Formats: sequence, structure tokens, C-alpha cells
Amino acid sequence: MTSRWRRSVGELALRGRQRGECERAQEALGRVTSCFQQLAVSLGSSADGSFLRDEMDETRHLAQRICRGLSRRLLRLLSDCGPAPSIVEDKQVSDCGPAPSGVEDRQVSERLWVLFLSALEHFLSDLRKAYNLIGRFPLTQRNDRRSLVNTGCMDGVVAVAARVASVQAPWLTMEEEQSPDLTNHIAELEAMLSEMQLRVPVAFWSVEATQLAGAECGGLEGLEEGEDSLEELMEGEGGSRRPACCCLTCV
Amino acid sequence: MTIRNTLQDHGQRYRPRMACLKKSEKVLLEMQDPKTGLKSQPQRLVITTIPHAITGEDIIAWLADRLQVDTQEARSFGSMLVALGYIYPLQDHKRLVIKPDASLYRFQTPYFWPTQQWPVEDTDYAIYLAKRNIRKKGILEMHEQEHYNRLHKWMNHKWDFIVMQAKEQYRAAKERKKPDRVVFDCQERAYWVVHRPPPGTVSAMDYGLDRQIDPNSDEAVTPDFYERIMIFTQQSIMRPRVKSSVSIGALVKYCATYNNHDPFLSNCLPSNPWITDDVTFWTLNMPCVEIPTKMRVERWTFSFAELLSDTRGRDDFRLFLKKEFSGENLAFWEACEDLKWGKAASIKEKAEHIYKTFLARGAPRWINIDGKTMEVTVKGLKHPHRYVLDPAQTHIYMLMKKDSYGRYQKSPVFKDTVKKAICPDEHRFSGAQLEQNSKKRRPSLSPIILRQMEQEQRAKMAANIDITQLCRFTTPVPHLAVYSGFTDYSHCHRLTLPHLPGPHPGLSVPHQRGPGQHLGV
Repeated sequence: MTSRWRRSVGELALRGRQRGECERAQEALGRVTSCFQQLAVSLGSSADGSFLRDEMDETRHLAQRICRGLSRRLLRLLSDCGPAPSIVEDKQVSDCGPAPSGVEDRQVSERLWVLFLSALEHFLSDLRKAYNLIGRFPLTQRNDRRSLVNTGCMDGVVAVAARVASVQAPWLTMEEEQSPDLTNHIAELEAMLSEMQLRVPVAFWSVEATQLAGAECGGLEGLEEGEDSLEELMEGEGGSRRPACCCLTCV
Repeated sequence: MTIRNTLQDHGQRYRPRMACLKKSEKVLLEMQDPKTGLKSQPQRLVITTIPHAITGEDIIAWLADRLQVDTQEARSFGSMLVALGYIYPLQDHKRLVIKPDASLYRFQTPYFWPTQQWPVEDTDYAIYLAKRNIRKKGILEMHEQEHYNRLHKWMNHKWDFIVMQAKEQYRAAKERKKPDRVVFDCQERAYWVVHRPPPGTVSAMDYGLDRQIDPNSDEAVTPDFYERIMIFTQQSIMRPRVKSSVSIGALVKYCATYNNHDPFLSNCLPSNPWITDDVTFWTLNMPCVEIPTKMRVERWTFSFAELLSDTRGRDDFRLFLKKEFSGENLAFWEACEDLKWGKAASIKEKAEHIYKTFLARGAPRWINIDGKTMEVTVKGLKHPHRYVLDPAQTHIYMLMKKDSYGRYQKSPVFKDTVKKAICPDEHRFSGAQLEQNSKKRRPSLSPIILRQMEQEQRAKMAANIDITQLCRFTTPVPHLAVYSGFTDYSHCHRLTLPHLPGPHPGLSVPHQRGPGQHLGV
């Protein structure tokens, strides 16, 4: 095993690139999973159909590719770094070394790790719900459409699907693997999650948020179109304008 | 990434069966059937028109027709569907009830239906609140803001993910057409009103404690399984039976007696804390309160068990017995209870103490039980166990019940208590005050502190016992006035009477004189 006491400039640059790759992949994963959720919300409703389900399959295959790649890279990133300097005794040789850049490096990698695992958990719960709903509302026969709930949604998922298609992951073109069906997909992700948690000991509670509470308020997003609040939008005919109040005071 | 099972749950981590959910879903699917279900109408908004809105009165009429019930019942059932989150109101979205007029409702999409298997995650709630923040600053309500701050603190490690995901979800939602976006926002908002209700409201998804056994798993059918069924059935057959007329009569009598005393069935004074969040009712009815309430005192007259089980009632009874110089009965009964319910290691010690104090010849607080029971008890005390004093305790209990209890109710002590008992005025809170109350809710005294207070009380009482009766080996003279005072015998002369076997070590026999002479202290 080569001693890593002295890190070459090239090595550090490589790690930096790898981290950047992971960050971009993380953003892509976030985009794909949020689109998946938008599609899943229409499951079982009047907007449900084979088009929707196909789009959902596509979306989750993409998510799966990103997840696989990300997990491999993160595992590599964090096992290279070795155990966290804070846990290791002075006597032991730490691969990261006591240099401050090593500690920072470790912290950033841990942050990415926690980010990925949270995203994975969140996506997994969405997948389970979707699996449940698809089982409950199978569209195999014609009169199954009668049981779809009229929720007021007409299909508008084309744009969402387009958004998914626009997602770029750094390694998409390199790896082509088979896409599993939903049950296997869930099982694979669960295995991935437990494997990652077992392989690398990361104290996830030591990661601190970079944003303060309420930092996301009133960002550029909300001000783009002069967004109205839902209350204002819902003010239709016959809808009285009530101030927000607690149940007990309303009669 | 979530720390699960942070509490000592003794293996209880399964959400219980919620049969109402499956049943509601069946009704709901029928309700929205295009042929046999409800007729929907479009909802007209300023910017657009959204289909599939249904009116409250239509819902109630359809339910009454389909389930063959009257309107009132259909209305409560409809409200239950709303409270569970299967239908949501379009106007007045915070009140989850069905209004029997033209107010509009819509079906909730199955993704947002309540599930039994999965609890509603805080992560999702945090993302939802962050999304609301992104949309418009300062739009969160007070309780939502509190939740937000709390989640930011406890989910700090995930917070970057939460904000990132919120932004992505916001952007993804904007990709949809305007009417669909409005519908989605309504659906999401309705979902969170059901699962994170504002304070002061009751959530229909409350289910009490988690269970030990997973209701979704199938029980393995083994010989053991059948054996348990057999044992259960055999025990059911062997159970002693009572005529239903008798048992129902007892239930009716109980209900009639206690109806006015139940805080949920009738108005409790000053006000029901569960409804108004004002704890005066509990403070007035604390175990060791000086002046009890009228309702409480009335309950003491219902039965002797009721009197004894209420701490304040027992104190009053003890006072009465002290004046009557028969406090030893109650003391003995309490000592027996202590033995029965106490630690196994202390049984021997307690049994000895009870024998010395109450049962032995020449005991300072000797109790009057019949010869046979005394024989049985003394024999049993050679090898004491938890229930060794049961016959004696029962005898004393019946004695107190038949004799002292009646006299207690006619006594000046009780009459005094009744006169002094308070009847508080009813609270009349306005809406704003109710909100204030709900914000001022605080947890009650910790059980550790309560137990310490209890132990102090008991120690104080033990220090104050009065020894009030003669030993049974003196000439029986019931009209003789007896000593009452403290256990400090330094005033009394130590006298060994010739026909006594001798005083027990550590105990002194009170000074005895012949009949017809009064002794004062």
C-alpha cells in the first residue's frame, strides 16, 4: 500500500474533480426523483394511463443509473479517505493525514455521503408507495379505468417527462446496464442502502447544514412570476375570503 | 439516515390495524364511479376551471342512499372521510367536516391517501414547509413555523438535502399546466392538514400506542398456534357465568350513578381540560388537596371502595376513625395492601412488622378479628407470602364497611367536609382565550417528583401514628377511655402485668388500671 502521507497535487485535483462529479450527479438525482414524485402523484387518478406508467419506468431507470454510479463513486471516495481523523488515535496511521485540507476534504465527502443517503431513502419511500399504488390500480383491463379516482387532474405530465429527459448525468453514456422491474429495483436500492451504511462508518449527525433556517425564503424562484399564494388562487366565485384561522374560532 | 427507535419501545414499533382505512377506500371508489357514483361539477376559479368538484349535500345524499342510513349518520360518515383525508374541502380547507350545503369538495389522489404501513415522514413535511417558504416568504402559520424550526434543529444533517429537494420539487411542479398545478397544491395542502393538524384540533389518524406484533404479517400456523386456541376456548367454557339480567342491571346501575361524574359524558366543573386546555379541574382534584370538590365528596357516598380508593377520601375517613379511636383497622388494611403490592424482598420484614404491631398478644394497635381467622393468619405468618394476610384483611374490610362506613357518613367530620366542599363556577372561554390556553399547555409534574412527595407523605404519617386501644388481655371494658397520643412511651410507666407473657422487646405496654377509672394523658 503506497503511503499517502504526501499527497501529490495531481491526486488532490483528481479528488476535487470526483467530488464535483458527485455533486452534479446529486443535483441530477434530485431532479429525477422530484419528477418521479410528480408522476407518482397522478397514479390511480383520472390522469393515470399507460403513458404515465411508461414515463415512470423511464424516470426510475434513469434514477437507478445515477444511483448506481453515485454509490460506487462515493464508496470509493470515502474509503480512500480512510477513517475520520477525529476518531483515529494519534498512533494510528491515517491515510488522510493530519493536514487541515484532509479534514476539510473528509467533511465535504461526508456531506455528499449524507446527501446521497437521504436522497436514496426518500426515493425508496416514493418507490414503495408507487409500487403499492400500481398494485392497487392495475390497468390491465378496460373497465379498470372506472376505478380511477377523479381528482381534477388532466394529464399534464408531458412537460415533466421532458424535464426528466433533459437531465444529464456525467457517466450516463459510459455505462449501459439492464433496467430492473419495480420489485427488483426496490430490493436493489435497499441492498445498496444497507451496504453503504455498513461499509463506511459515517457519523451522519456530525454533518451540519450549510443553510440557516428560512434561508430559502423568497429566493429568485418564488419571485419569478409574481406567484400568488394558494389562498389567493383559490378565490373563485362563491369562495369567501377568510383569514387564516384556527378551527376553534370558526363556527 | 434517520435514527429510528430512539425510545425504549419494548419492541412496540408496528402501527396498529386500521380497518377503517380499507373500508373507507371501498366506499370512496364506489363514490367516484362514473356511472353509479356522484355527479361532479367544474369549479370556477379566477384563472381557470377545474373539473371534478362535488358538493357537500350531494355527498351526504349519496351516502344516505347507498348505506341506507339517515342524513345525520351520513353526515358524520362523510365527515370521517374528510377527517381521514380521502376527500378534501375546497373552501375553508382547515375544517375537516362535511357541510350539508353547496360547499365544494374533491377526491384526494391515491398517492396522498393515508396508509397503515408507513407513517408520515417528517422529511416530507420539512420539504413541504421549505417549498412553501420558497414560494412566498412569511406564509407559514405559527404552528408550521414552530415545526419548521424544530425540524431544522433535529434534521440538521439532512437539511441541505431537504432544501435541494424542495427547490427541485418546486421546479418540477411548475412544469405542469396551471389548473393541474393548482390541483396538486390543493392536494398537498389538504394532505398536511390531515397529518400535521394545527394545535387545538383532533387528528383522525391518532391511534394511541404502537403495537408489538406486525398486523400485516401472517401468523405462522404451527401446532403451538392451535394449542393456544384450544386453551383459550377451554378457559372460556370453564368461566363462571352470571345471568345477563343481573350483569346488565349492574351496568345500568353503574351508568346511572356515575353518569354525572364522568367528565366526557357530562359537563365537568369548572371546565374539561381536554377541551379547553385549562387545568383547574385537575388541580382542584389532586390527591392531597385541602378542600375537595362537591362532586368528589358525593362519590365517596356511592360505595366504601370509592371512599377508600380516593386518597382524600381515605384521609377524611382516617380522621374520623382517629376521633372514634378505631384507626387501627384502617392502618392494618393499608399495611396489608402495602404487603400485597410491595417488593418481594420486603415481604418477610413487613409481615413481621404487621404481626408485632397489629396481631400479636399485647400489640400496640391490636385489631379485633375472630378466633378462627386469627389462627389461620398466625399460622400462615410462619411462612409469609404476599397473600398471607388476605383473610384478615377481608374481615377488617367488611367490618369497616358494615360498621364504620355508615357511622362515618353520619358523623360531624363528614358533614363538615360536605359543608366545606367547593363547587367551582363554570369557565366561559372566548375563542381567543382558548387559543391562549392551548399555547400555554405545559407538562404536569414529573412522576419522579410525585413519587417523592408520596413517600414524604407516608413517612410523615408513619411518624404520627396514634396508639389508641387496649391489649386484649386486659379486662374487656369497652366504655373505658383509652389513651391517644404519640408512640413516645417515656411518660408511661413500664409495667409487666403478672399474667402476661412479657412485653415484646422494644414495645412497652401502656399503663393499665382497673376498670372504672379514667386515665387521661
